Amino acid sequence: MLTLNALTKRFKDTAAVDAVSLQIPDGQMVGIIGRSGAGKSTLLRLLNRLSDPTEGEILFGDTDVAKLKGDALRKWRSDCAMIFQQFNLVGRLDVVTNVLTGRLYDLPAWRSLTQIYTPQERAFAVQALDRLTMAHTALQRAETLSGGQQQRVAIARALVQEPKILLADEPIASLDPLNAKIVMDALRQINQQDGITVVCNLHTLDTARQYCDRIIGMQAGRIVFDGTPDQLTIGAARDIYGAEADEAFNENATSTKLSGASATEAQVAAIKQAAVNV
Amino acid sequence: MVDISVNSPASSSRERNAVTLFEQHRSDLIRQRRAMTIFGIAAFLVCLGLSIWVSRFYPSRLAEGVPRILEYFVTITPDLNWSVLFEAKNEAGRAVPGSFAYWYTDFWTYLELIFETILMAITGTIIGGTLAFLLSFAASDNLAPNQTIYFLARRFMEICRGIPEILLALVFVFMIGIGPLAGILAVAIHTTGALGKLFAEVNENASDKPVEGITAVGGNWFERMAYGVVPQVTPNFVSYLLLRFEINVRASSIIGFVGAGGIGQELNRVISFYSDDRVLAVLILVVATVTVIDLISERLRLGFIGKENFQ
Repeated sequence: MLTLNALTKRFKDTAAVDAVSLQIPDGQMVGIIGRSGAGKSTLLRLLNRLSDPTEGEILFGDTDVAKLKGDALRKWRSDCAMIFQQFNLVGRLDVVTNVLTGRLYDLPAWRSLTQIYTPQERAFAVQALDRLTMAHTALQRAETLSGGQQQRVAIARALVQEPKILLADEPIASLDPLNAKIVMDALRQINQQDGITVVCNLHTLDTARQYCDRIIGMQAGRIVFDGTPDQLTIGAARDIYGAEADEAFNENATSTKLSGASATEAQVAAIKQAAVNV
Repeated sequence: MVDISVNSPASSSRERNAVTLFEQHRSDLIRQRRAMTIFGIAAFLVCLGLSIWVSRFYPSRLAEGVPRILEYFVTITPDLNWSVLFEAKNEAGRAVPGSFAYWYTDFWTYLELIFETILMAITGTIIGGTLAFLLSFAASDNLAPNQTIYFLARRFMEICRGIPEILLALVFVFMIGIGPLAGILAVAIHTTGALGKLFAEVNENASDKPVEGITAVGGNWFERMAYGVVPQVTPNFVSYLLLRFEINVRASSIIGFVGAGGIGQELNRVISFYSDDRVLAVLILVVATVTVIDLISERLRLGFIGKENFQ
């Protein structure tokens, strides 16, 4: 169970994440949606402490992640894998070495700095790559791969960390629709087969609805929606995306009978339309 | 394309506003830049005038000096005699005056000393390059673990490259005696400072994305450098290292003047004791060596960078 208590991150006067409190049970797949600048990325970066919170707690079990330092912090990062929009691989290293960096925390210093890995570690890395059907690229430089391939290598790197939580910051924002589907399928599969909690920032509503157990909507650093995909009505989506979406909404909304019930095809289309327009 | 003239009545008022505003900003910017350019040129001319005045760099003085330079060149030019130019040493083991063999009597000594000079440059570059490599990460604004270490690394490198090699060589000759070791240390220290700064600048241009990736898997500072930065900067480091090696070959041939080994020591000897054609003999060899090394390392450097860019 991951628990956030009044988690806040301030940059000078503006609060990028404003007193966010949240509980995420183990094994859930959570999608975070919101306009750009809503604080989605900052929230994720706070979770694995790439960014330090100004106030608040991040509880995982009994430990307050927000207070970790040094070795304990690196241990947490290795338990809490992260996938980035720009993949953040080391372009000039080969794919398998990139994946092996996922083991860095467990390696003695002399081995990590000399890049000496045991056959078992290599096998583990190649198996992770194979799971994402990328094993054939293992000896290629990472920079020679396409974006979708690089993201799959990044997921393999996350897998060899044997993480408890997997964070994904806009994992499909730089990918074409087909690759986006491959990557999201892989994340969902990891979530379901390995029971790893996945927290994923997404910019498209339909992806969030399709893949996530739970959707969290953020606006100006605060949580404005927290519920199942079914509960995400047009009204709720409007709250998340704010006044900017109104123009686009009204035309479509009038043609759709708004009710509290689950979204119809037309509703989904309207929400998609709204997402495109913001 | 729709023809939009600035004053066209056809364009809507909003459109016209955007265009007028843009034109206004543009002319403001141009005016501002013009003022800066004029100021810059004026400042440059003042500085140039001042430096000419302070260093008394006047054409008349230069004109007076030229004949003396020519005179010196005449002194160090060998008396070569065409008829015996390629004569070998005679039975008594003496070279015939006017022959190449006579001019380059000490050829093998020179060659040995040049070899020593190159070895000094190689050793100095390797030691200095290693230290520069290790220090460069701490001396990069974006990578240093904290401001204190950054400050110390920067200042240390400034001291290293701030002292001229020849001065360092002089100090080391006093400390550990005449010979190449003093020269190697002098070159190594200067290289640490000079190359460290260049390395640090390369580091500062490295992308932080891979570094963030390594941070996110739980890597410590050393692992972030080794995996996130080093692969990115290696081609540039190699290129700068080779460039520095060329510079160090030249530097090593000079620092011998103060007794720090190499061909410089011989050059100093022939200048102060003989000041005859032997000076030119040594100079020609030094220039030839530097040229050959420049050519080789340029090839290597271009080959390396080219390979990186066109893979």
